[in-house]
Amino acid sequence: MAGQTYEFDLMQMSAIREMANIGLGHATTALANVTGKSFNMDIPNVETVCLEEVPMMMGDPSDVCVGISMPIEGDVEGYTAFLFPWKSAQELWGMLLGYSPESPEDVDDLPASAMLEVGNILSASFMNALSDMTGLKIHATPPMVSIDLAYTIAASIVAEAELSDAVALAIETRLFGMENQQTTGYFLCVPTLEGLNKLFAALGIQGAA
Amino acid sequence: MAEIKVIKGTGQLTCLGLGSCIGLLAYDAESGVCGMAHIMLPEAFKDKPVDKPGKFADTGVPALLAEIEKAGGNIRRLTWVFTGGAQVFKYGAGTASKLDVGARNGEAVNAHLKKLGARILAQDIGGTSGRTMVANIETGEVRVRTVQGGEKTLCQLKRVRAEAA
Repeated sequence: MAGQTYEFDLMQMSAIREMANIGLGHATTALANVTGKSFNMDIPNVETVCLEEVPMMMGDPSDVCVGISMPIEGDVEGYTAFLFPWKSAQELWGMLLGYSPESPEDVDDLPASAMLEVGNILSASFMNALSDMTGLKIHATPPMVSIDLAYTIAASIVAEAELSDAVALAIETRLFGMENQQTTGYFLCVPTLEGLNKLFAALGIQGAA
Repeated sequence: MAEIKVIKGTGQLTCLGLGSCIGLLAYDAESGVCGMAHIMLPEAFKDKPVDKPGKFADTGVPALLAEIEKAGGNIRRLTWVFTGGAQVFKYGAGTASKLDVGARNGEAVNAHLKKLGARILAQDIGGTSGRTMVANIETGEVRVRTVQGGEKTLCQLKRVRAEAA
């Protein structure tokens, strides 16, 4: 509900954290496979915040980022997104394309489609892991890419999520490159309460009210 | 997001990183009262209580008027400025979003101001760039900054006063 925060019990919170952990573990491995570099991730931070607070959680809100948004469809609906701060996005482009745009104005179709591909790979592996775990049909719709402030990107996703009633909790974590730890990315997942309860039911856990 | 701020005579108001959101600014030159709402969605949900009226265009406009009046502004003298309402996801197959929150926000704000017979001094809406709007009450300058297009002056609030006087 608009502006509402939900209460989850310990069991539910650890189930969410575990799902995020496994899903993102697969996504991180997939990213390592396409870039040829190792990545690691922090333990996902699961917060039941009201959605207006989300844009302040994704690193520095006034940082220029490349944001990849991927709405979820199927048995579970909602939104997922990855945000890569500009320097990290440049490192990713370097790994994928062998060069990187120097400034946000220089991003044209090729670097943009490289990021769309990163989104496809990350979301497909994340959703597949969740599907395998729960037996539910969960799939990502085609990703969209934005180059803007972290705040702007997150706020635009949150507004859509709220409009589609996809409001339950925010799962946020940080990915980073193993070699120099400089490549960081933030992950956001905003499922609907209904979708989240389907995930709980599939795992044999009581749903949230 | 969703907040309403009102200042009088001095200082500045900022709306950081407006993507699909709208930064709505109203200024009363005579009293120096200036208010800003950071609107997120076109209309409040019918079945849910409104916790922050500034969040929606339909509740945000009257709430902003009320705050301006409370601060000593005259709501019949206001000039209005608004920016935002972009679709910041420029690349990808799904960018023609069925929801298109940005465009709907822009239409909603426009419709509510029209209903008021409001004097709109400047607007800068739509497109694919997020905007940061800063209104400086001392100089009367309203500036808009985008990541890819830099910073520009959108309008001069004080010039309106000079012309009116």
